[in-house]
Amino acid sequence: MSLRRRSLLGAGTGLGLAALAGCGAGSGGAPDLARAAEVPRGEATVRWWSFPMATNDGDDLRRLLIEAFRSRHPNITVTTVDAPAVTDISRSVLSTAVASGAASPDLYMGDVAWPAQFAHNALALPLDEVVGEDYWRAYPESLVHALGYRDDTYAFPFFADQAYLFYRRDLLDRHGLDVPASWEELTVAARTVQRAGDAEYGLVFQGAVYEGLTANVAEFVADAGGEILNAEGTRVTLGGRSGERALTFLRDLVADGVTPRAVGTFREQDSTDAFVGGRAVFLRNWAYVWGVVEAPDSPVAGRVGVVPRPGFEGAAGSGNGCLGGWCNFVNPHSENPGAAVAFARFCAEEEAQVIMVRNTAYLPALSAVRAGAEARRSPTPVTALADEVRLVPRPTRSPHYPQVSKALYTEVNTVLSGGASPTEALERARAGIADALEGNAL
Amino acid sequence: MSDVPSLTRRRARTGWLFTLPALVVVAAVTIFPVVYSIAISFTQVSLTYDGLRVEEWTLANYTTMLASSAWREALVFTVGYTLVTVAVELVLGIAVAVLLDRLEVGRGWLLALLLIPWSMITVVSAQLWGYLYNATYGAVTWGLGLFLDEPPVILGTPAPAITAMAVADIWKTTPFVAVIVLAGLVRIPAERYEAAEVDGAGAWRTFVSVVLPALRPVMVVAVLFRVLQAFGIFDLPFVLTQGGPGTATQSLAMLGYKALFQDLNMGMGAAVATATGLLVLGCCLLFLRAFRSHVDEAGEGSTA
Repeated sequence: MSLRRRSLLGAGTGLGLAALAGCGAGSGGAPDLARAAEVPRGEATVRWWSFPMATNDGDDLRRLLIEAFRSRHPNITVTTVDAPAVTDISRSVLSTAVASGAASPDLYMGDVAWPAQFAHNALALPLDEVVGEDYWRAYPESLVHALGYRDDTYAFPFFADQAYLFYRRDLLDRHGLDVPASWEELTVAARTVQRAGDAEYGLVFQGAVYEGLTANVAEFVADAGGEILNAEGTRVTLGGRSGERALTFLRDLVADGVTPRAVGTFREQDSTDAFVGGRAVFLRNWAYVWGVVEAPDSPVAGRVGVVPRPGFEGAAGSGNGCLGGWCNFVNPHSENPGAAVAFARFCAEEEAQVIMVRNTAYLPALSAVRAGAEARRSPTPVTALADEVRLVPRPTRSPHYPQVSKALYTEVNTVLSGGASPTEALERARAGIADALEGNAL
Repeated sequence: MSDVPSLTRRRARTGWLFTLPALVVVAAVTIFPVVYSIAISFTQVSLTYDGLRVEEWTLANYTTMLASSAWREALVFTVGYTLVTVAVELVLGIAVAVLLDRLEVGRGWLLALLLIPWSMITVVSAQLWGYLYNATYGAVTWGLGLFLDEPPVILGTPAPAITAMAVADIWKTTPFVAVIVLAGLVRIPAERYEAAEVDGAGAWRTFVSVVLPALRPVMVVAVLFRVLQAFGIFDLPFVLTQGGPGTATQSLAMLGYKALFQDLNMGMGAAVATATGLLVLGCCLLFLRAFRSHVDEAGEGSTA
């Protein structure tokens, strides 16, 4: 018996091509937005892709929200599906599931950096027609901007995250230093403490080759008065004086020893470890880090202060903080789009946002709650200061944002490790981002 | 006379019938995905509410890929990394195998110990190496600090990062090479050593002229396995550096992963995967051809 390779390959090829052709033959077409706008009267169950969110007393915020929602809509049951802890893995699992037409999960929590990419790839339900365009006025402009793509909006706000400057109050006091009002003052203060031998590092942040570095760069560029892309995310605007100033400052931080050379390998955890371990005077990090530095087993608990990030001397912007956080998307293939929208909407609105402020350290997304008395009185300073931070969006409006971000963080990382000058890196980053925007990047 | 072909045919039919389930499985899990991804690599696909839609059949993915400096850098890194690590592993593996072959006692224990790195899941061992290499509290950094004024930021500087990754790889896979080579060593008959001794060959001469030629077939197997694995290296850079600093440790597999799962660019991801597959296939075929002729020559030489 002879096994003919050719016939086997032929059969395989046929199968492959048939499958490719068959992929276009899904059901439905464009999602039914009228149905999504209507809260169902009958029994309905929706599955919510989400991760556990700790409350102050160790409970899960998701349980509190679902209970509160249930008392309003007794006919709708919400069940949770636990998402993977790593953002990128969550994205690959979700995108493959939703792209293949799966009806579950009905709604899912996603990063605020995702909407343009998910909208472009038909992975999220467009919402303007469902809730009306005016609905979004209740949220910070930069957040709504991040949730939109072209002429529509693709996710409900859930919670915000933003960057702050954490500092060692005890060390500044010991040397009679004020909390720095500018990056230049910060450099001087850091050197003073370092020279006295009270701390090994001045400022630590996230400089590894990953999304976190893009967030840092977006902030420094905004501090210097620039931005990375234009508002619609179609053209590179990084460069010129602002880009040069931001990158030169970063390079000098490392060259002058204010920031350790190891910063090029630092992610959130590494920079937090350095700060909590008492090695650094200043730390740039996300709001949730407050809980880590003030944890009972933290060696620096009670000796730390937090403020919005400073700005450059002579530049207009200060108090910038990169916009992060998570939002709720509705699966366009959901069998209960009305119920899914109802729950996602509930999580974005006042009742749920107040529950969030009262019970957790997560920052609310709704403007009224962010600036409200309840938030301002919060014993958690990152919550009390939430409204004072000027949110800096990353250039996520482009569906090619991941490539844009990659072009940026790869080049800036080389500056941190001393492998390229700020000017060279800027030039290469601009070229890389332009390629990415045309969909020509790898 | 006329019975013979029909009997053959019937046998053939039975044969096909029995192998059919296996063939279906092979087609479903191997041939279909390969063909499917090759087909995707020649398309510009977009995701729509109706599912995957082929916008056009095009070579654009390949032309973009070949023109991209990221791809060329990844190719150079992957090939260089494969050559160096496999060569070092082969040398070390043979040395360890010879040692084990000579060992009179405790060979089993030592073998088991040696296999621990190999049996560890790479993601876990990479995490452990990550702690050792850490720039602030890593033991290796601390050790280097004893000799150097300013120890390098190991995973944050290109050359040290590549070296560190190669060390982690060699640590893990040398035992694998050693075990395969040991199997070959054990099969060398004692008479050959005796004959070499009678001919007055010293230890080195015996090793070069008797042991190494006899080991050729197993070495081919070991190298093939290793090249296939090393070429697809993903887990070490994924855990240790994410491809950094810059793009210094970005392998072809990482590049494909990023294109597919971060950028959701199916055509490009498939193109990178297909090109990588073709490259490694080509390398292996070339290598096999080169080595087979060597083996044949050696065989003829010894019988003549």
